[in-house]
Amino acid sequence: MTQSSLGTNLFVVWNEVKKNIKFLLAYPIVFVFWGIFPIFWFIPFILQGEALVGGLSSQAFAQIAGTPDFVPFVVIGSVLNSYVLSSLYGMGESIRREAYQGTLDYVLASPCNKAYILIGKAVSESLTSTIFAVSQLAISILFFGIELTVGVIAPILFILILLVLGLYGIALMLAALSLRFKQAHDLAHTLEYVFYLFSPVRYPVESLPFWAQLLGKLLPLTYALIAVRALLLLKQGLSAVYVEILVLLVLDVALILVGFYMFNWMENKTKKSGMISQY
Amino acid sequence: MSTPTDDQDVYSIETSGLTKVFAKKRHRGILGFLRRETEKEKSKNEKTDALTLALDHVNLKVRAGELFGLLGPNGAGKTTLVKCLATILIPDEGTAAVNGYDVMKETTMVRASIGLVVGGERTLYWKLTARDNLMYFASLYKMPRAEAKKRVNEILEIMNLRDRADERLEDYSTGMRQKVAIARALLHNPPVLLLDEPTLGLDPTFSRQIRSQIRDLCRNQGKTILLATHYMYEADELCDRVAIINNGQIAAVDSPNRLKAMVREKELVEITCVNPPLGIEAELRALCPKVEIVMLVQGDEATARPARIKMMGEEAEESVGTVIDALRKKRVQITSLNVGMPTLEDVFIKLTGGAKLTEGTENEKERHEAE
Amino acid sequence: MKKNTNQVRKLGMVSSPTGFTWANVKAELRAIWESNVKQWKIELAYPLSFIRQCISPVFFLLPYLIYGLALMGGGYSPNLQALVGTGDIVTFIFTGYIIMGFISTAVFAMGFSIRNEQWFGTLESIYITPTNRLSIVLGTALHSTVHQGISVIVEFSIIYAIFGLGLKMTGILPALVIFALMMFALYGFGIVISALSLLLKEGYIVSEGLASVMTILSPVAYPLLVLPEVARNASFIFPTAPGLIGIRTFLLQDYRPEVLGNMFLALLVLDAAWILFGSLIFRLADHYVRKRGSLEKY
Repeated sequence: MTQSSLGTNLFVVWNEVKKNIKFLLAYPIVFVFWGIFPIFWFIPFILQGEALVGGLSSQAFAQIAGTPDFVPFVVIGSVLNSYVLSSLYGMGESIRREAYQGTLDYVLASPCNKAYILIGKAVSESLTSTIFAVSQLAISILFFGIELTVGVIAPILFILILLVLGLYGIALMLAALSLRFKQAHDLAHTLEYVFYLFSPVRYPVESLPFWAQLLGKLLPLTYALIAVRALLLLKQGLSAVYVEILVLLVLDVALILVGFYMFNWMENKTKKSGMISQY
Repeated sequence: MSTPTDDQDVYSIETSGLTKVFAKKRHRGILGFLRRETEKEKSKNEKTDALTLALDHVNLKVRAGELFGLLGPNGAGKTTLVKCLATILIPDEGTAAVNGYDVMKETTMVRASIGLVVGGERTLYWKLTARDNLMYFASLYKMPRAEAKKRVNEILEIMNLRDRADERLEDYSTGMRQKVAIARALLHNPPVLLLDEPTLGLDPTFSRQIRSQIRDLCRNQGKTILLATHYMYEADELCDRVAIINNGQIAAVDSPNRLKAMVREKELVEITCVNPPLGIEAELRALCPKVEIVMLVQGDEATARPARIKMMGEEAEESVGTVIDALRKKRVQITSLNVGMPTLEDVFIKLTGGAKLTEGTENEKERHEAE
Repeated sequence: MKKNTNQVRKLGMVSSPTGFTWANVKAELRAIWESNVKQWKIELAYPLSFIRQCISPVFFLLPYLIYGLALMGGGYSPNLQALVGTGDIVTFIFTGYIIMGFISTAVFAMGFSIRNEQWFGTLESIYITPTNRLSIVLGTALHSTVHQGISVIVEFSIIYAIFGLGLKMTGILPALVIFALMMFALYGFGIVISALSLLLKEGYIVSEGLASVMTILSPVAYPLLVLPEVARNASFIFPTAPGLIGIRTFLLQDYRPEVLGNMFLALLVLDAAWILFGSLIFRLADHYVRKRGSLEKY
């Protein structure tokens, strides 16, 4: 059997998703934790804002952010940032877990196309991230003044899918590097810092110096955040953010292509050197 | 605990009524608590919910300077006993003393008296060199720095690791790492060594080196050694006395020769054959009710490994014909037939009512015989 | 089980310092030092990771500062000045944030020292030595404290270069005394986390939760006055609240402590409380896992 049908490949994806979800469900406390806990990370920012401004809205902030309400601004940044974290760490961690458990050799020796295994890992990470994000968003709507109308749900989901696709590409590159370099998680951490600092997670990109703004504009999270905030906070329609969506699409294609190419190349290289699963 | 009456009855390790129970954990999944149990599931779960009696009122005495074997299959309770003596595990009942110190009340002195070696690779810091590992553990054994340095050099010399002492453990082979683990156990020159499957996963060359070192530590350095193993030949070769343990209970304690003498009056026949059908053991037992018949090794067609069937009992030789006929009727190819001397394996089978060995033991025996 | 004197003479004699003797204290201090050295050796085996960890706190500090500047359109906040006497956003947040790194020391470094040994597979090997377990945990604490110290120097250099800082250099020494007192209590807290990580396989959840609660209740990026009164009172369970107030008193120009009182005294009481509590919890946890037999299970 040298050729796999689409059905077989999708079956691989499905089983990978099932396995990872079962693994996560074996730790129910973890499951509940990540649906609630990340809220604690943005509370200090809200309190900081209150202390500096003396209230919950700032005109100086409005001049660059388009809205004086910094609380929902920060909350949205935090929820979307959690996708970044799960993409950067989830797939790489999944591979490291396979290596630690000793199953990586067998996975890689199997005849199926490894890209579908990675897709399976990415899909399961995205599923769980979405569940966690929905949970966090629900709490934020209840307690932090986010207003969600039915009409924006579909466009927001569309933007999130675009964001996740771009992050998949980056995750693939990291997964490729983690096959060869056992310290690839350091690179994941560094990318996390770059996203956190240069994307408008906590503040508008215009707060940064010009050179930093340019760097921010290379990141898919920047466009996703601008688009989601435009829909949720500024009450704008999808047409107002078509530029951001277009750029996201272009970034997605580029990142995914590079990611797949890098993974296949690195897999072949490490198989030849025999260093593939030295944990 | 007994009071020693003469010089020969000085015990380095003593246990009295030592018992350890573990509670089993039942996993029902994230939504399992929402499901109601059916009656059938409840009674099944009650069994699986039951406690595991890992050690069942174990009484043991190991003399000073003795090389004492603890022999039993996986799950017999060997590691549990070793951990209780090493103060890693607190027993639920009973008492134990190592080097005269109570394991529950004088834990610091017990720890100063023992060196522990376990099988398996991950008991050292791979990112450190052998020397760094040993210096670190020397500090944990409260050795002054100058003394530690001297002792580490000595130990590295003894274990033939001096040349590679400053390389990281991640670059060592499994056998070399195990040598470092043994070196660590000897750092503070403890009078008692607890060895829990020290040759597990090692190739024959390293296994032989380690067994030789164990012998030397006991005979020439007078250390008391408790060796827990499931390799019968290892216990047979090394130990002054062996305790056979199964299901947490000590079945017998004596020297290997005396243990083997327990089955010497019985006849022993071993048949090697290819691909016996499943359930053949029960059929043969039904045909020869007065003979103990045990399928020691199932056999594997893919790897061409033959099955081994052992017959023990006073009518074993007489029943050989019946067994061979029965096998031939099932078109089983018989490759050899032996009438043998008893081994510790036979003793184990006799004492544990025919409980099977692990197949790993069989492979190890073959490797050992090939050495 | 009585020891017969004849038996003692025949058995192998061992000597190991125990109790509150100078020999034992020296041995335990050496074990702490060697645990620290071991951690350094392992960490420096991953040089890129070491460099990244020294620099990374800056990447989490900068968003606090940039966010603050974005809210106010500059580095001054009149509301902050009304609350605590100083409106210098950057210096206020900087002095708070550097303490966060030491919260990490307590929660993650100390808290997971035992878990890390389980991961390495070395925990049982350490447990059978006569050294007190807490010495291993304190060795990790020492390593992490020094590590954070390096990070503070890096943070100070970068933030000073970009934004400038209005610190009173004359206040450094008393601030260091307050810092030391705060760290002792944090070590006690870290020992509690370490005990929890022994007991719970998913103990990091409790650790993360506690670290977050501590961060929220500590005046890191905002004065305590912003918190509701209940939370303000609760914050004094943790040493970071009196610690930060004390440090800012000595380091910040025009700073007016948001809570009046003797922070030295408060920290001394917290030191005793957390260290005693931590030691007790750790002892109980240690006994429990040895009884349950889950010591080496990761």
